[in-house]
Amino acid sequence: MKEQALKNRKSDEKLFDTVVNIIAALLVIVVLYPLIFIVSASFSDPAAVLNGEVVLLPKHFTLAAYENVFQNKQIWNGYGNSIVYTLVGTAINLIMTTLAAYPLSRPDLPGRGGIMFLITLTMFFSGGLIPTYLLVKSLGMVNTMWALIIPGAIATYNLIVMRTYFQSSIPWEIQEAALIDGCSNWKLLTHIILPLSKPILAVMVLFYAVGHWNSFFNALIYIRNKDMYPLQLVLREVLMVSQDDAVVSNVGLENKVLLAESIKYAVIIISSLPVLVLYPFVQKHFVKGVMIGSLKG
Amino acid sequence: MKSTVNAPGVAPRPKSRRSSLMKAIGRRYDLYLMLLIPIVWYVVFQYGPMYGLQIAFKNFNPAKGILDSKWVGFEHFQRFFESYYFWRLLWNTVSINLFSLLFAFPIPIFLALLVNEIRNKAFSKMVQNITYIPHFISVVAMVGMLLLFLSPRGGPLNTLIQAFGGQPVRFLDLPGWFKTIFISSNIWQNMGWQSIIYIAALSGVNPQLYEAAKMDGASRLRRIWHVSLPGILPVIVILLILDVGHFMNVGFEKILLMQNNLNMESSDVISTFVYTTGILKGEFSYTAAIGMFNSVVNLMLLVLVNRFARKKAETSLW
Amino acid sequence: MHNHRGKTIVITMIASSLALSGCNSSGGKKDADNAGTNGGVKTAGFPIVQDPIKLKMFTRTAPVNGPFADMPVFKDYEKMSNIQIEWTEAPTDGFAEKKNLMFASNELPDALYRSGLTPMEAVRYGSAGQLIPLEKLIDTYAPNLKKLMDTYPEIRTGITTPEGHIYAIPGIVTVNAARTDKRWINQAWLKKLNLQIPETTDELYEVLKAFREKDPTGSGKNDVIPMTARGGLAIVNQMAGSFGLDFQLGYNINLENDKVNIWMGSDRNKELLMYLNKLYSEKLLDQELFTQKEAQYLAKQGSGKTGFFFDQTNNPMLDTKVNDQYVGISPVKGPHGDRLQSNAAPVARDFGAFAITSENKYPEATMRWIDYFYSDEGSTLLRFGRQGENYELKDGIPYYTDAFLASGNQAKITPYAGGGAPHLISEKVASFINPPQVQEAQKKLDPFMPKVKYAAPMFDEQTAQKINTLRNDIDKYYDEQSTKFIVGALSFDKWGEFQSTLKKMKLDELQQLYQTTYDSLKKQK
Repeated sequence: MKEQALKNRKSDEKLFDTVVNIIAALLVIVVLYPLIFIVSASFSDPAAVLNGEVVLLPKHFTLAAYENVFQNKQIWNGYGNSIVYTLVGTAINLIMTTLAAYPLSRPDLPGRGGIMFLITLTMFFSGGLIPTYLLVKSLGMVNTMWALIIPGAIATYNLIVMRTYFQSSIPWEIQEAALIDGCSNWKLLTHIILPLSKPILAVMVLFYAVGHWNSFFNALIYIRNKDMYPLQLVLREVLMVSQDDAVVSNVGLENKVLLAESIKYAVIIISSLPVLVLYPFVQKHFVKGVMIGSLKG
Repeated sequence: MKSTVNAPGVAPRPKSRRSSLMKAIGRRYDLYLMLLIPIVWYVVFQYGPMYGLQIAFKNFNPAKGILDSKWVGFEHFQRFFESYYFWRLLWNTVSINLFSLLFAFPIPIFLALLVNEIRNKAFSKMVQNITYIPHFISVVAMVGMLLLFLSPRGGPLNTLIQAFGGQPVRFLDLPGWFKTIFISSNIWQNMGWQSIIYIAALSGVNPQLYEAAKMDGASRLRRIWHVSLPGILPVIVILLILDVGHFMNVGFEKILLMQNNLNMESSDVISTFVYTTGILKGEFSYTAAIGMFNSVVNLMLLVLVNRFARKKAETSLW
Repeated sequence: MHNHRGKTIVITMIASSLALSGCNSSGGKKDADNAGTNGGVKTAGFPIVQDPIKLKMFTRTAPVNGPFADMPVFKDYEKMSNIQIEWTEAPTDGFAEKKNLMFASNELPDALYRSGLTPMEAVRYGSAGQLIPLEKLIDTYAPNLKKLMDTYPEIRTGITTPEGHIYAIPGIVTVNAARTDKRWINQAWLKKLNLQIPETTDELYEVLKAFREKDPTGSGKNDVIPMTARGGLAIVNQMAGSFGLDFQLGYNINLENDKVNIWMGSDRNKELLMYLNKLYSEKLLDQELFTQKEAQYLAKQGSGKTGFFFDQTNNPMLDTKVNDQYVGISPVKGPHGDRLQSNAAPVARDFGAFAITSENKYPEATMRWIDYFYSDEGSTLLRFGRQGENYELKDGIPYYTDAFLASGNQAKITPYAGGGAPHLISEKVASFINPPQVQEAQKKLDPFMPKVKYAAPMFDEQTAQKINTLRNDIDKYYDEQSTKFIVGALSFDKWGEFQSTLKKMKLDELQQLYQTTYDSLKKQK
């Protein structure tokens, strides 16, 4: 009897495994299909795409869309800008967030509860667009890269994640011992904590860099000069903003529009590549790095 | 989370609380020094603009500045409450987020549990890595993809519908579809990413608990229910609270990009209304009032949920 | 905001002066007798100032434009005037945001160029003191503009507030043909299918139906677009005249015996929307009408697959094979015998094109600087660039040289491309936008232009704020619901509900406000 039960359980287990694997496979397909479609469409003849002939694989393979993107100065200019904004922005984010997260992770810091509360409050209550704009303007940052970087120097959510990591992954006893040995807090941070914190630093780099790379709204508000537009604003123009209501003589407008249709797919791919490339390097740190807990304690 | 541990060198029972506190602060002055720049930043960039919120109660005249503009009390609030669009905006804002909470919130948990149950480690890793990918697509690219994917001309979904003899549907022009599209594309984009945090939490669940459950003859489903879920419950609750904390603001950029005159009926939310009326039409005070209303409702929700969670789940944000 | 195009550009009051009368205002001639100076600013003659000065101007650049500083017009004019302009350029996309935020933060340039200020913005920022009143400056330092305002009194009334201030000056169009969209129909298709030019709404319906069903392109595919228009609700403005609906006072208003009648909830409008709904649901009207972008629309004009559409010029069709296929027709007659070309802009076509801010230290010089472009000479420089290099004169009329047109840089060198530039468009500079084909099309419209056209009046600040509050809700509602009626997302059973909601939104109060303003306008005359 017992054997029978065990057998039953074994077959139950097997069934369970099968169901799990099938659901997972379905999920993978659902996630992958739209991505494959975009890739395939980008390599296809735009007319074939418009006629619905592209289903899974490219039809009438062509690189025309990519050639056009490569010739588009605006896109490359945006690319360059986005790289600069992302590098500088992420560096500042990292420094600022670490400077805030580490002290606030220390259980022996008087007043940290109150500070933490005031910091968290800003996640839920803010001054709004106009007052923020007035502030940024009064600091002379409008139409400079700093308007995209300084007002977002710390993301409170990331601060909480980093603080949680410091609290839970680096034993307080080590820190205590170092302090008793006469190690200063700065040295403790730079020589002991940070080397032990590679996973969280990697995760932060990814969080912030992706955020910078993908943001467009602040640039729409703060950046006036078209040469300073980040990639996402150029992308937005390509993908969805109407062209001007110009009384213009434009030669071969129809071809231009067909072409504009076809480069949409290519632009989506080219603009998403850098973060996708960044991701595998950071990926292994995720499970260790991302943790979140209560703000108290 | 660690509970407070006595700092090194601090006497266990100080004579005077104040003097020992001063000592404790003095000894860690360099920690405060580290905090200095971030705190200055918070004061300037987070609390500074809150000073500007007073324009919600004024007729803001830019030439005169914030301080010297005329007070008008609750006039702008009243105008908003009496506006034809008040209920629609409120309903759209609340319903989009409520449906997100109902449908989009549980899915990453489900995914994490699923990934955790996959025996084949390579497959498990693959599922994880693939479901993360969409997260890296920007809002702009995401909405662009939606436009292309749902396009009546050559969009695969409509190609499919036509293959079955149906008429192409202009999904993005139909108010009835807006919320579904918005939320399901959010799920598609973020489920993998959001599941990371749960997967991390699951890896921290004590394996002995599983063994014990196994000994008791619990099936896999029961083990998930009785061991895995309780193991990550605190994380679930914290994330739920954080989500509610953004209840009234979620998705502004994406909604703005997806909006058009045809789907406005269900896509018009408070944050986009503030943007179009405030920035595009220059009604600064009126929209500051609307924004403030939004924030206050949001904060109240947060406090409520936090209190509820503390009582029922014994976990809370603070 | 293409869907508001028709509404917002109807700005000034056109008092029965729609004939193509003497438009060759003889601006640009420098009167030698009043070459006095004021703060170093001469009231006539160049240079405007003896010692060079620098002005900061905020402007909008269209995607087709090159940098303003590189345009020959501004390069040459800088040498001529001794005034150097430092441009702050904001692209069309995001311009409205930046303009309003600039006012909000009160960090102003010296002047706004091609700023597209709305009357509401002009009043708001004017009474806040951020824009300075220009009426006195115009009297002394803008002889060309002043002459135009004397020739066309409706310009002045259209831009002056009840308090007597002018906060922004408009782009002025004295060429009739540049103020209204032509109705272009595909005559090749008509011929092929053996159809007559439609004269009534019913005939138009039949023609469009034939276009759709009888494969006029002979492609064997069902790929024609019988009728299209600019994205959004522009179609309503185009067809309103056939249902007796006019656009007076710059809004959805009919004037009958001095009574202001806002017709949004009227039966006539219901008929119009039902007609459009019929066209839309039978796929006679472009299915992409409400989402299409300008570039797509322009491309359709030259694609050879479009049966009937509306545009001011034939420019988008130029250089395509199909240019000759299209001919302009008259508005069709509606079920009640109405036949109006109600969608016409006033002489002061582009409101709020230029304004001077309180920051400006040289308002006199600035006014003189802009005034030049209200002369034929200045407008030629602005629109055509350099003689020889960009254009040549034929019978005293400038034409782009073929070599320059072939370079494809036409729109790069002039700030008029992209619309809304502060200058004069007269017969003299219209060779490019008003070729014979367009003139012919315009002739078909002339008999049906409304006899009297009042355009959006300027309100005092308080009324403006009230109207603004009311219209914010009403217009949004009206636009959304009209769109839904047309595409069939909302059944006409709901018309009663639509009417009562408009009422709830205080349409009556809005009508009363317009009535009062109209009455006082009448009295002024």
